[in-house]
Amino acid sequence: MNRPLLDVTSLAKSFGGRKVLDGVDFSVSPGELVAFLGANGSGKSTTLRCVMGITEADAGTIKLGGQDLGLLQGKSLQQARRRAAMIFQKIHLVPRRTALENVCTGALARMSTGRSLSPLFFPDDILQEAMDCLDRVGLADRAHDRVSRLSGGQQQRVAVARALCQRADVVLADEPVSALDPHAAEQVMQLLAGLAHEHGLAVAAVLHQPDLALRHADRAIGLLGGRLVFDSPVSSLGAADLDHLYAPDRMAAA
Amino acid sequence: MSAPTTGASVTPRPDTAPRPVRRSRRRWFGWAALAAVVVWLHILAIQGTGFEPQLLVDGWKGMADFLAQSFPPDLNWDKTIKPGLDATLITLWIGLLGTTFSVPTALLLAVFGARTTSPAGWTYQLARAILSFFRAVPDIVFALIFVTAVGLGPFPGVLALICHNTGVMGKLWAEAMEETDGGPQEALRSAGANRLQQVANATLPMVVPQFVGLLLYRFDVNVRSSLVLGLVGAGGIGLLINQSIKTFRFDAMLTHILIVLVLIIVVDQLSAFVRRRLAA
Ligand SMILES: Nc1ncnc2c1ncn2[C@@H]1O[C@H](COP(=O)(O)OP(=O)(O)OP(=O)(O)O)[C@@H](O)[C@H]1O
Ligand SMILES: [Mg+2]
Repeated sequence: MNRPLLDVTSLAKSFGGRKVLDGVDFSVSPGELVAFLGANGSGKSTTLRCVMGITEADAGTIKLGGQDLGLLQGKSLQQARRRAAMIFQKIHLVPRRTALENVCTGALARMSTGRSLSPLFFPDDILQEAMDCLDRVGLADRAHDRVSRLSGGQQQRVAVARALCQRADVVLADEPVSALDPHAAEQVMQLLAGLAHEHGLAVAAVLHQPDLALRHADRAIGLLGGRLVFDSPVSSLGAADLDHLYAPDRMAAA
Repeated sequence: MSAPTTGASVTPRPDTAPRPVRRSRRRWFGWAALAAVVVWLHILAIQGTGFEPQLLVDGWKGMADFLAQSFPPDLNWDKTIKPGLDATLITLWIGLLGTTFSVPTALLLAVFGARTTSPAGWTYQLARAILSFFRAVPDIVFALIFVTAVGLGPFPGVLALICHNTGVMGKLWAEAMEETDGGPQEALRSAGANRLQQVANATLPMVVPQFVGLLLYRFDVNVRSSLVLGLVGAGGIGLLINQSIKTFRFDAMLTHILIVLVLIIVVDQLSAFVRRRLAA
């Protein structure tokens, strides 16, 4: 196995005195797709948000591409973080702008502030790179359509292209397919798996459907009440593991 | 969710659920107290404003005389209609410039005055304070102040509207940005974009329809405000109405009011049309 691109140890987070993450350790290597599984409220989203720096972790070390983020500050921290991109369940594109313009915004950190104020001023090389990224997700022909005119699955692929345009080699996806119909979900999962297996990115995705994880992921990480309960290749994942993992959801439904 | 549910137990657990608390009586008392306060405020207000319908009934004859004198409206082209139309155009121009020239200041203060886009706590507080000031001072007061600097005429009217409209539109725009979905902005932040880049590429494009809608609404209001400003010397049709009352030309006054009516309807329809097109 390659050296991990993302290496997280003893991640901890509390909200208002309630422990939400309690010593979570995991790593993601280039070329693999890791699925995060767990019941509602088990801390999957919080884990990804801590890695992205959207939420601040209380304790733990996060290494991105070998760099310990805890030791960095200011500009160098921002630069190191840019290696990781996030894909959201709610997609979070700007509906009024075109697919291409949205993809370009993945590269904002590489543009001068002046040229980034309007898509009119985006540099040519970034437009070209964004077009290449759209091509990689199979949507080059829709580049100049407004995002609001695309289907949910196409929108999520545009969001993946935005992550690519960020030149991220670590992609974290929080329920990337939960809002999509089964066919679109399958397409997006194949795309994410392809990024890992063919392009060597390190991809981690929170999935709410264990069967998607079994079909597309290489490894599954199970979270239960903020603790890691398994971290194993999907091939060795049994029904008992899943039963245990989703016990809280069944309690809530009962 | 599609978590596996094999072997799930569906027996209710009556002993573990907390007891519900009935709150309806307390809530009823709260509503009654609120109603009592509102009634009391109205009694004070009726006394304070000398609100007496009887006076209106007794005085209807004076009003009828006044209205009778203004009928029929004066339709003399050279003396009434032409000057009325010219002045109406001035009123429209005052409203237009008062709206558009306040866009840059309102935008700046809105971005600094919205919690989601302001760079720091103190910039937010400062922008909010400035917006409150411009909103609190009525445009008429601004007009009177500017008249002392630049003299009577439409120009101080435009300046007054710019000031007041900056305060109102800036606040409305700031609220529109705070209410819009913050997801795209968060996505750009997590991609390493700086605050200005986030605002320019996520927040602002998200709120363009709301911004234009509010801009048109303010144009509508500002045209009507510029009528009132005319009454205090800022020119336009408001000034003509004032003059026709002072010279007892009530029939000319009615003509001018009818012209204003047409102007208001046209502006209203126009902005409704643009908003419809925008929503489509
Ligand atoms: N900003 C916050 N403030 C307070 N509590 C929070 C916050 N964010 C998350 N939590 C709590 O942390 C716990 C874990 O939340 P998280 O969103 O990580 O769960 P999840 O595994 O993603 O669940 P789901 O499957 O429902 O998305 C939950 O109990 C949640 O209520
Ligand atoms: Mg979640």
